[in-house]
Amino acid sequence: MYSRHRFRGLRRSLAAAIVMLASIAFWLSQPAYAEYGDVVINNYSDAAGMRPVVFPHWFHRMRFRCKVCHADLGFQFKAGGNQINMLKIIDGQFCGACHNGDVAWSVENCNLCHSAKPGTPTQVHESTIQKLAAPTEPARK
Amino acid sequence: MRTPICFALVSLLVFGHGMAHADLAKGKAVYEKTCAVCHASGLAGAPKYGDAAGWAPRIKGGVAALYGSALNGKPPAMPKKGGALDTPDAEIKSAVDYMVASVQTKADAKKDEKKPEDKSAKSDKSVEAAAKSPPAAQAAAAATAAPAPAAAPSQAAAGAAAAGAVAAAAPSPAIGGNADVNAFNRLLKPAGKRNLPPTEDGIHDPTNDGTAALQPPLAAYGNLPKSNAGNRIDWVQAIGGKKINPRWDRLDPKAEPVVMDLNIIREVKGSMPDVVYPHKQHTEWLDCSNCHPAIFVPQKGANQISMAAILLGQKCGVCHGKVAFPVSECRNCHSKKKDLPVAAAQKTAETK
Repeated sequence: MYSRHRFRGLRRSLAAAIVMLASIAFWLSQPAYAEYGDVVINNYSDAAGMRPVVFPHWFHRMRFRCKVCHADLGFQFKAGGNQINMLKIIDGQFCGACHNGDVAWSVENCNLCHSAKPGTPTQVHESTIQKLAAPTEPARK
Repeated sequence: MRTPICFALVSLLVFGHGMAHADLAKGKAVYEKTCAVCHASGLAGAPKYGDAAGWAPRIKGGVAALYGSALNGKPPAMPKKGGALDTPDAEIKSAVDYMVASVQTKADAKKDEKKPEDKSAKSDKSVEAAAKSPPAAQAAAAATAAPAPAAAPSQAAAGAAAAGAVAAAAPSPAIGGNADVNAFNRLLKPAGKRNLPPTEDGIHDPTNDGTAALQPPLAAYGNLPKSNAGNRIDWVQAIGGKKINPRWDRLDPKAEPVVMDLNIIREVKGSMPDVVYPHKQHTEWLDCSNCHPAIFVPQKGANQISMAAILLGQKCGVCHGKVAFPVSECRNCHSKKKDLPVAAAQKTAETK
């Protein structure tokens, strides 16, 4: 009788744990409120065990006009469309044109860029496409 | 009957874990000093730390055999004691344990997860849930009612139970990801959710140390002119009024943009005012090559533009609705009033 009672308590706490897990999962599915235009790039990050990159567009446009990155450095107007990897960056391409310890801080600050929640898909955050009532792309998590 | 098993499991977990912990710490030190040279990267065919597939056939031979290989070496690549001959045997063994644990802990953890979920799902609770019979709970009960002999189905059942719990706890996520499907203006962002700092914005990982080091948008925006959408900053006014002076050149802070002051008028259908496209505001930021000729053919009448295309991210929508002000700001573009047609009834009255 006693042991049965104990087991029931254990079961209850397990149920509570499951409810907690469920609520955490639900909390994770809540909408995100990152700044308009923030670009998440997850071409290779998840597969490599790194957090995806969040590129704060607003921060960069306050310092550089569009032309610098999108004409001079060759960034396509498409999230995830540039196949950027760390090798290109340390060779001075894309982000590496400035993030070289000279114009801006260097690549050793991994977590300043690789800062998205793991599993966040590539996207321009808050873009109109994400808000269409009939999504044209698989819905963002 | 189940209780002793439970206790045995728990005590095994607690005490077994505690005892192993000390050894593994020692093993980790030896691993990092000696073994990692090959076993971290898989050099010369060494089974990699944490690579379950690489270790599985070796673990099959028993831990004693692994100890033997580590202590005595194993041709062609594994040197005696990994080359560190002065390391005590016990420490070499604990390093082996540490590497083996790296592939076993994952499997064990999985088992541990499954067991409690299985039990709770099979408990009276699922029967109670079925009695209440919301469809999700029923599905979960049905899934768990079937015996789950193999690992994979039991996992599926647990997954279904978890999914059921989520569904019962909350309505399924609506379009736009909002919880309450009938919330007022559910597609709009309430004032309290605008320009949030990175740690709260839902995209950045708050557990990442770098996230806290990032500048929050509001700290940077200061007195920049406001707008009603996007970043809620009027970037055109900000740059026009010299509130910000972003560089035109990567290195030269004095380089000036080549501004072209030419308005293009686009006549549009219906009663919407015609569109005035100002080259001036665009060339403050952009180079000609950014838009021409890939997005817009530089020739009058050569570009079919529709609001549908813009909404889908084409034409103006390459930037507007992503990083520049979105289409909700109709009058920013549709700004040239036109003579509106007279209503049909009025027209006939005039002719009479």
